[in-house]
Amino acid sequence: MKKIFLFLSLVLWLSAGTVFAADDEFVFEEDPFAEAEPASIADPLEPVNRGFFWFNDKLYVYLLKPVARGLRVIPEPARVSVSNFFSNLGTPVRVANNLFQLKIANTGSELARLLLNSTFGLAGLFDPASSWGLEKKEEDLGQTFGHYGAGTGFYLVLPVFGPSSLRDGIGRIGDYFIDPLPHALKQEELIGLSALDQENALSLDKDTYEGIRKHEIDPYLFVRDAYAQHREAKVKE
Amino acid sequence: MLFLKRFLGLFTGVVLLASTAAVAAPGPLDQARATVDAVMAILKESNLEKQVRRERLSATIRARFDFAEMSQRILALHWKNASDQQRDRFVALFSDLLERNYIGRIESYTNEKIDFVKERVQGNRAAVDTLIMTKSAEIPISYRMVQKGAEWMVYDVVIESVSFVNNYRSSYGEILKNEGFDGLLARMSEKLADLEKNGNNGKPTEP
Repeated sequence: MKKIFLFLSLVLWLSAGTVFAADDEFVFEEDPFAEAEPASIADPLEPVNRGFFWFNDKLYVYLLKPVARGLRVIPEPARVSVSNFFSNLGTPVRVANNLFQLKIANTGSELARLLLNSTFGLAGLFDPASSWGLEKKEEDLGQTFGHYGAGTGFYLVLPVFGPSSLRDGIGRIGDYFIDPLPHALKQEELIGLSALDQENALSLDKDTYEGIRKHEIDPYLFVRDAYAQHREAKVKE
Repeated sequence: MLFLKRFLGLFTGVVLLASTAAVAAPGPLDQARATVDAVMAILKESNLEKQVRRERLSATIRARFDFAEMSQRILALHWKNASDQQRDRFVALFSDLLERNYIGRIESYTNEKIDFVKERVQGNRAAVDTLIMTKSAEIPISYRMVQKGAEWMVYDVVIESVSFVNNYRSSYGEILKNEGFDGLLARMSEKLADLEKNGNNGKPTEP
């Protein structure tokens, strides 16, 4: 396992420069606010990815979303609190990755948030730290790899979990080991909790995916490129 | 001498007039805010007939969005190689699609507060940063604008660091590569017809 991990990391670093297809060298006109040229993400597994995308789409439409819609009978503030609670539980992973990237101020801020929100925020149900100027600093292992120069590798659609990449997929596995929660809970408890977390988050979401599904001529491509852009921006943050 | 005095008087008058006009012209942030507010107001008006509502939304958005510039940016090299006819067709289809898409997105947030955070102006370009404050999250939406006369026109919308233009550039680029320009146009008009048929008013349909 360790060897495979090392090998994959090596491949990622070596491929960082090459997997991005050189984009058309087209300069519109000087534009100070132009977003950086999107690095189009390589997608050698497209047929397989499309398969999983189709599967996830059906899972979302016929199971996950109906359940989330059911959750909407619970008043929104309660669901926001549940979301805060899970976000607070996710602190260790954010602390570790802020630290890995030597973002010391952010690491401190995450620790302070954990302390404040776990106490004054009643075990994380509320997020008073945000209103005191301590915003959440989202970092994960995929971003840490990216921070140190790893390329995304290629696009992956994971069954159930959705859009990812080779780099971010490996990051997910790593984060799972960093997170103390999986060590403290039984497997089925963990699955139940994360299902609740995801369903709750879906209930708060403003039907983003429905909009994409409905308006885009190829939702698969749209989601893939949005994912690539979004992650790249996250890495640069 | 009198002539000179008069002339000077007239001259300062003109200069004053010109400068007050320049001061009075609202900047990109105010113009963007006016449009977003107008869209929200129309969306909140519940007793509007569907057709009237669509037309009003469309007119409001089209007055602030520069779909031709957007299309050029999305198509990049393909724009250069396209015929005038293809270009016009693309702009027409794309503006229809994006309009519906934008209305659909913004409609989900009619009950949330939108903060117009700041404008950054450089020459004839500007970025207007807004934050949609939902109860569980803050969603950053930035409008990229270009000055055309007194008007600031939107040519890109960046939601959570994902630029519409870049996103379409990649995804349409792939379709262009595989199916050609006319293939892309065909798929776009198919999508539009599909949205039309399902009585689209910007709301995502339940499956």
